Amino acid sequence: MTPPPPGSEVHAADVTAGDASTSIERTSILVYEGPVRAWHWITALAITTLAVTGYLIANPLPSVTGEASDWYVMGNIRFIHFAAGYVLAIGWLVRIYWAFVGNHHSRQLFKFPFWKKEYWDGVAWEASWYFFYRRWPKKYVGHNPLAQFVMFFVFTLGMFFMIITGFALYAEGTGLDSWQYALFGWVFDIFPNSQAVHTWHHLGMWVFVCYIIIHIYAAVREDIMSRQSMISTMISGERMFKDNRDD
Amino acid sequence: MTTMSTPNGFALDNSGRRVVVDPVTRIEGHLRLEVNVDDDNVIRNAVSTGTMWRGLELILKGRDPRDAWAFTQRICGVCTGTHALTSVRAVEDALGIEIPKNANTIHNIMQLTLYVQDHLVHFYHLHALDWVDVVSALRADPKETSALAQSISSWPMSSPGYFRDVQNRLKRFVESGQLGPFRNAYWGHPAYRLPPEANLMAVAHYLEALDFQKEIVKIHTIFGGKNPHPNWLVGGVPCAINLDGTGAVGAVNMERLNMVSSIIDRSLAFIEQVYIPDLLAIASFYKDWMHGGGLSSTNLLAYGDMPALANNHSNDSLMLPRGAIIGGDLSTVHEVDLKDPEQIQEFVSHSWYTYDDESVGLHPFDGVTDPNFVLGPNTKGDPSTRIEALDEAAKYSYLKAPRWRGHAMEVGPLARFVIGYAMGRPDFKEPVDATLRTLGVPITALFSTLGRTAARGLECQWAAHRLKESFDGLMANLKAGDLSTANTDKWEPSTWSHNSRGAGFTEAPRGALGHWVEIEAGKIKSYQCVVPTTWNGSPRDPAGNIGAFEAALLDTPLHDPEQPLEILRTIHSFDPCLACSTHVMSPDGQEKATVTVR
Amino acid sequence: MSSGIETFYDVMRRHGISRRSFMAFCGLTTAAMGLGPTFVPRIARAMETKPRIPVIWLHGLECTCCTESFIRSAHPLVKDVVLSMISLDYDDTIMAAAGHQAEEILDEIRETHKGNYILAVEGNPPLRDGGVYCLPGGRPFVDRLKEMASDAQAVIAWGSCASWGCVQAAKPNPTQATPVHEVVTDKPVIKVPGCPPIAEVMTAVVTYILTFERLPELDRHGRPKMFYSQRIHDKCYRRPHFDAGQFVEEWDDEGARKGYCLYKVGCKGPTTYNACSTVRWNEGVSFPIQSGHGCIGCSEKDFWDMGPFYSRLSSVQPFPIEGNADAIGGTVAAVAGGAVVAHAAASAVKHAADKRDIKNERQARADQNTNG
Repeated sequence: MTPPPPGSEVHAADVTAGDASTSIERTSILVYEGPVRAWHWITALAITTLAVTGYLIANPLPSVTGEASDWYVMGNIRFIHFAAGYVLAIGWLVRIYWAFVGNHHSRQLFKFPFWKKEYWDGVAWEASWYFFYRRWPKKYVGHNPLAQFVMFFVFTLGMFFMIITGFALYAEGTGLDSWQYALFGWVFDIFPNSQAVHTWHHLGMWVFVCYIIIHIYAAVREDIMSRQSMISTMISGERMFKDNRDD
Repeated sequence: MTTMSTPNGFALDNSGRRVVVDPVTRIEGHLRLEVNVDDDNVIRNAVSTGTMWRGLELILKGRDPRDAWAFTQRICGVCTGTHALTSVRAVEDALGIEIPKNANTIHNIMQLTLYVQDHLVHFYHLHALDWVDVVSALRADPKETSALAQSISSWPMSSPGYFRDVQNRLKRFVESGQLGPFRNAYWGHPAYRLPPEANLMAVAHYLEALDFQKEIVKIHTIFGGKNPHPNWLVGGVPCAINLDGTGAVGAVNMERLNMVSSIIDRSLAFIEQVYIPDLLAIASFYKDWMHGGGLSSTNLLAYGDMPALANNHSNDSLMLPRGAIIGGDLSTVHEVDLKDPEQIQEFVSHSWYTYDDESVGLHPFDGVTDPNFVLGPNTKGDPSTRIEALDEAAKYSYLKAPRWRGHAMEVGPLARFVIGYAMGRPDFKEPVDATLRTLGVPITALFSTLGRTAARGLECQWAAHRLKESFDGLMANLKAGDLSTANTDKWEPSTWSHNSRGAGFTEAPRGALGHWVEIEAGKIKSYQCVVPTTWNGSPRDPAGNIGAFEAALLDTPLHDPEQPLEILRTIHSFDPCLACSTHVMSPDGQEKATVTVR
Repeated sequence: MSSGIETFYDVMRRHGISRRSFMAFCGLTTAAMGLGPTFVPRIARAMETKPRIPVIWLHGLECTCCTESFIRSAHPLVKDVVLSMISLDYDDTIMAAAGHQAEEILDEIRETHKGNYILAVEGNPPLRDGGVYCLPGGRPFVDRLKEMASDAQAVIAWGSCASWGCVQAAKPNPTQATPVHEVVTDKPVIKVPGCPPIAEVMTAVVTYILTFERLPELDRHGRPKMFYSQRIHDKCYRRPHFDAGQFVEEWDDEGARKGYCLYKVGCKGPTTYNACSTVRWNEGVSFPIQSGHGCIGCSEKDFWDMGPFYSRLSSVQPFPIEGNADAIGGTVAAVAGGAVVAHAAASAVKHAADKRDIKNERQARADQNTNG
């Protein structure tokens, strides 16, 4: 029996021979389980909120007029920031928990295969694709090696940095006797003073802003140009491959 | 060297016994004095050494010029505020900023407040113990003390019971065997001449002044938020004025102004009823102790201070005059220009710094400071154990040697009063003449340790009166409706020219103070300070001129070289401030430090 | 704590001096003070009773603002502290003795009150080049400091110099000025930071130790919790304006005259641990914020390098003056955004070219198939 010609599985009323000849076989794998997807979008929202409110805490809006007792502008901005901070931090804890109980893709954020040569070859391959030296990237079920690099060093470590410094700063308000200070007070042993922690926490916000720009761009670009789906994957969880060629 | 004469007219002989006083206490910072005495215990050579260096000007490089006042204010916590004001003026001069009238008046009020407090503390807590024997007060009769006090002043705290209480407290203190700050001093030294009753009165006022001085500085607290080290602002003052609008309680308002007014009145009363009578009473017992003149009868310098008119820094406006007197010629007061490269220059031939050519002096705009701790071959001992004696033929101090047109100068209250006197200003001439008359001494008596101490007292009184006038001026301007306290037109660095230079001046309580700043691309490119104690305590220059401290100590007889009370007396009359001895900044901004101990 | 102090008489007896010699000593002391013989028994009695705790107050690289602040204390008055509470046996700024007579006091106290005196330090030692940048008494200050600390019961680090390094330790710290706790490591060091510390805070720390005979509870940085556990911002009377969003936008504006929050003009109150907004200064007259200027953070470690004082955000070394987190972050984000746009454009071009190539290749293959 001869294999069916390409595109013959495309069951559409208006399918033509031309369509059939350009059809590709697609396959899919479940990569992101439900909790991971939910975490992703909650975190995205939290980070956006934190960045906007954080910026406004450092650069407050123009002054309001009237009695101080009539207003709570700065107080509300700070409240939203702290609330979003809690959401982010609790989400991160859940995400860490999921790394233990979820599928192996859920652990990728927290691992960095520093000593594996194949990994670094993959980074070089992806980088050369991004520098237009190659027509095709490789296909990956999880993060590609370059993405993994950014995810680990910028996102994962960045999350730890921001959550820890954020709670240390929050502990200044809750006081020396609070659990926040008990857990995070050590931060002030590392930095010379609270102002320096603020400065670095604020710089961290900008790191995340840059990360988000690149993250969204890479996701859109990969969606269009790579051999697998990206954005829809974070909605459906399914990684779709656009071709079925081997690498 | 055994004997030599200096170009500025002093004979030095270092062959006699060397007497070292280190630390010199009851001053600000760390000072060492070494003298040689002849067989009659008369001082024939004197060596003044600043023994600390902090390098603040190097630290200022690359900082925001609007912040510089806070850094320079930390040069000295005793004359707190005067460095800040000098810095603010230097930066305003560089950036071409004019300050509002109220800001100028508040600056004057802050500076005059410092004068009143600092002179008072200096007299009672740093200097009086050179004239007053605390232990002798225990033998005083409180009744006679009361009679003495009432004979010279109407100050109400003068009853026999009051002095008895003070004496009893002092007795309990002495009987405890723990003399605290009065331990190991020269009590009973024959150079103390006051009768026990005068000593008891002075001790009582020592304690009263200690209580009262903290009241005076509350004026700083009202306008600057705290003291020591109140807050300042380039372009004005940080405290807004709001007399009757919404939120006036959060600004300078009537209640705050009343507090200022009340403190001024109480200060004036304390000075006129306690300080000045005490000063005259004590002086009357010492008026034949006419040592310590040094440079005061020849070379005096003042930059002037307290502009009566905002932004007018000419002698027409300055309440304290600017000028220089050379060679004791009181008929000519020379013009002083801080920016003229020929006038103020610093030398380092005997300072622990290096220049490429140490035979020349550098104007502060071109100042170089490159630390170089080297001890001369005749030094005895070394820092690892203890320096027993320095070699003044080599480098021997962390102070540079500033010179005005090549002359070593004395600065301070006496310089200001003599310059004001020479200019014929009645507010200086009249009190000086009256004091000389009261004590029955000629004008030449001014040029002495006691003259310096008396000038400080008179200046304290002068300052209290100017304080009251300045306050009245502030109120009149507020009444006219002007509430402005800051000019923010040139607050943002984007409004500044790429490169600018400025000089700021004040008269610190202890003398002429100048800051020189160069600003480039919004940052400090170079910063130099020449401070009063650098003038007075300066080491020798390449020509061999000695500075004011060294000159003033010469020819003074010591009763007992083991207890050199006379040295302290004369040096304290200058009110030294050694933390000010900070210089650094090589033109390339490189920090260089070399240390050699030979 | 001070109950553990031996009386002077105890010390002399321990050194094998007889009662008789002790009385002779009292006689000599009395005579040396120029007092009559009637004072001898009183001196003897004083020496047999509990003494005031000796305090040795040393000065390193400093500006004397701490001593100046100390003498501003209103409750207790500093004269009462000095005459009745402690025995301030050494403080260069106010002591009567000078030169070797002053230096001898240090040796005497070390010997007679070994382990029973408090060492108060104002300023700090420079360590560069063997410490030659501070040579009181002809020796490096650091040597004297270590010596006096070795026999002290506890060390009080007055002010930001002794606690953190302060202005002379600001970058580039030309003399390697070093805080006391980095030099004295075997003794409890109580930090009382501030430039200077508040007068009544200073005297409260001393009187706490005397009254309760123990050191005050300290925070993780060695500061007394009672004064340094909250930020100025936490108890600032202008805090309602901060929460409302009412700020001084520029000097002497309407907000300044109404007493609005100074946050936007650089107030470091939110990052500064001190008691200024509660104890306030000079008998509670005011404090920097009340007088219209933001806090500059003078009780914080390295606060000099957290400037400029008039900007909420610190400048980040080694960037220019305006190089704060927003300027740096904003620039990097703009560069990242620009790079993304450029990369996207390049990708589109490349993608189109690739597509054409693929199409051509496919066409070629199809043609080949058809023809074959």
